[in-house]
Amino acid sequence: MANKFGNSYGLTTLCPLINGHQQHTSFDKITRHRIQLLEENSGSPFARIPDTYFARLFILNDVFFEQGNNVARDHLQSKYLVFTSNFHGDLEPYLQGMWNNAEADVRHIWQYAVAFDKVQNAADFIRYIKRCQLTTTLFFNGSTDDSLQQQLKSLYVKQAFTEFALQHQGKPVAELRAAFKTFMQQLQIDNIETPSWQPGQTQL
Amino acid sequence: MTMDRALDLYDIQGNICKGYGRFGFPKARYFFLEFHQYAGARAFLQQLIPLITTAEPWSEKDHPDQSDKPQATTNIGFTYAGLSALGLPRRSLDGFPLEFRMGMKNRAGILGDEGPSDPANWDPVWQGEPVHAWLSVNGQSRQAVVDRYRQIEQLLQQSQGSVTIRPGHKGPQGSLQPWQDASAVYENGRVTPKEHFGYVDGIGNPYFAGCGNDPSRLPGRGKLTRDDGWQPLATGEFILGHIDEAREYPIAPEPHLLALNGTFMVYRKLHENVTTFNRYVDRLATDFDGSRELLMAKFSGRWPDNGAPLVLAPDDAAKAELDQQLAQLTAKAAAGDHTAATELRALKAKWIDFTYNKDRHGSRCPIGAHIRRANTRAALETEKDAFNTPSALDDRRRLLRRGLPYGGEDETPADDTEQGIIFMCIGASLERQFEFVQQQWINYSNDFHLGNDRDVLIGANNGQLTDKHIIQVNPKQGKAPFFCTHLPRMVETRGGDYFFLPGITALRMIAQGIIDPT
Ligand code: HEM
Repeated sequence: MANKFGNSYGLTTLCPLINGHQQHTSFDKITRHRIQLLEENSGSPFARIPDTYFARLFILNDVFFEQGNNVARDHLQSKYLVFTSNFHGDLEPYLQGMWNNAEADVRHIWQYAVAFDKVQNAADFIRYIKRCQLTTTLFFNGSTDDSLQQQLKSLYVKQAFTEFALQHQGKPVAELRAAFKTFMQQLQIDNIETPSWQPGQTQL
Repeated sequence: MTMDRALDLYDIQGNICKGYGRFGFPKARYFFLEFHQYAGARAFLQQLIPLITTAEPWSEKDHPDQSDKPQATTNIGFTYAGLSALGLPRRSLDGFPLEFRMGMKNRAGILGDEGPSDPANWDPVWQGEPVHAWLSVNGQSRQAVVDRYRQIEQLLQQSQGSVTIRPGHKGPQGSLQPWQDASAVYENGRVTPKEHFGYVDGIGNPYFAGCGNDPSRLPGRGKLTRDDGWQPLATGEFILGHIDEAREYPIAPEPHLLALNGTFMVYRKLHENVTTFNRYVDRLATDFDGSRELLMAKFSGRWPDNGAPLVLAPDDAAKAELDQQLAQLTAKAAAGDHTAATELRALKAKWIDFTYNKDRHGSRCPIGAHIRRANTRAALETEKDAFNTPSALDDRRRLLRRGLPYGGEDETPADDTEQGIIFMCIGASLERQFEFVQQQWINYSNDFHLGNDRDVLIGANNGQLTDKHIIQVNPKQGKAPFFCTHLPRMVETRGGDYFFLPGITALRMIAQGIIDPT
């Protein structure tokens, strides 16, 4: 089982949280609260981190078994901040991009992770995440493995072209040609940035 | 041990195993009850039980012997609120599936009942607290319906207010009726199998093990086997207490006897905007390469006039040829030609015994056509031998349709007159069967790779550019597909709910107040 599937990468990390409290609130609770306050959609820090297809943060409290635990033994030694991300490309450039574009959010979220106080720069962050990394088993990527911008542009083109086809069905050839020319100019098919969908955007 | 055990058809309500329309009952009346006092309500039910029609075998419509058939039928179903009002024990009530306990109104988000179909716009009978019971009377004539209704009305009077009828069905000329009448559509005084848009309806319906129907009805109605044959669907897809297609017992309340031989039913009043439909078809037909009838067929998957499936006759020329063949064989058979009669039967069998296997691209029957959405047959098995059986993904989503058209008798159908279909369908799981089909296949198209397209006839479309239906073409013929854009809302929901149809034993126990889950 590999972390890569074509050009897509499936990152799974478990970062242990410090056992302890600050003013009656445990560090895992503070961390969970911070995650839950993150903005969604275009406002999400992940919308700023290049090439993120799909990312997720949550707190793993303990292990649970359907058929009841062996309560004497089956517990995790600490609580974990779980960070998973599906993205385009390789791990190091992705984490570099994460640090460069969302350093403040990263510091805020990971503040109570064990030994995170030693992380001072992108290189430290990359090293830290790699130490917490697990191999992603059963990795399934729900989209193509093109760059995010490429995928967003493709979706945009597909949608715009559908509407063009619907609007111009049955038009005389000359009119259709002229309209298509204008359409292609507006579409700027080689301009990957615009017009296009923006990362995190969920509605036109 | 034996795998197949005959069903006790005398313990199963008749409408589960029979579409009464097919047996010569073109008229019906549906009405809804409220229970105000449970001892009185149970006493009423005890008196009603002898009138309940079971699934006992009758001769088919064309059969010479009509003597074993009643003039009118009666069937009953209960909402969750109704079972509660009858004093069913808490533990039995809690065993009913969530969607049934919630009721149809609270499932509006799943069912696409928004805009004009929003429950706030439903008929008055559906406003406020849920109704408690559904009663249906089907008759060989309108008079037979009215006679049976009067008989039940007398029982209601005897209940001295313990059971009353909840009125409030919108009827002709702005009236409010205490009941919902339904009727087959008549043309020149003769019964037709049509609904108000002009399509022949009521052809496709599942065939399940033990249903008591003529085995000649199996091909095209059962489930597909690997060798292109048909087998009856498992009984448990349609009747509780029996094994289903997953070889499990369907989710059902306790005790076992409460569920055994019972099932669930959807009742939905679906208004048809006949003017909107006709205008849309007229406008589109001017651009469409083919007749108006072909365009209508490309919406539903069957030719409107005689229900011939598009896979059999995909264009106007093929349809003309088919009609000619049909006319010739019919004439010869009528003149006593046995060979012609056999050929005619074989030809008519093709109305139902087909798949979309040779029509992967939808150039015959569009992939988004109503019947191809509602019963995918083997079309979801896009890779060879992907599933245990070709129709595995469809076998758990089949719907036993039991509806009839309503309205159109006193007024010329338009958008603001009252006509449509009382859609009723039966299945062991409302959520897995009806709700899934309605949500995923009617109002969404991911499984068909058609994006957000919705069903032309009954989808929650809103007249936008991208509210569309695609009429596919053979990719090798170099023709362009035809886009039907700006689809309007042809059909609106005007009310309905989910009902539990108990077996006769359970009904008797409910009436006696002896349901005991412990
Ligand atoms: C006013 C509303 C409706 C109209 C006008 C309509 C019309 C039709 C027509 C013309 C047919 C073809 C005849 C036949 O195969 O029996 C058909 C079949 C069918 N319809 Fe509808 N229908 C309506 C509502 C619904 C609803 C709400 C559902 C389910 C959610 C549904 C499910 C089906 C199924 C399962 C078939 C049979 C398909 C097959 O077995 O091949 N219909 N309908």
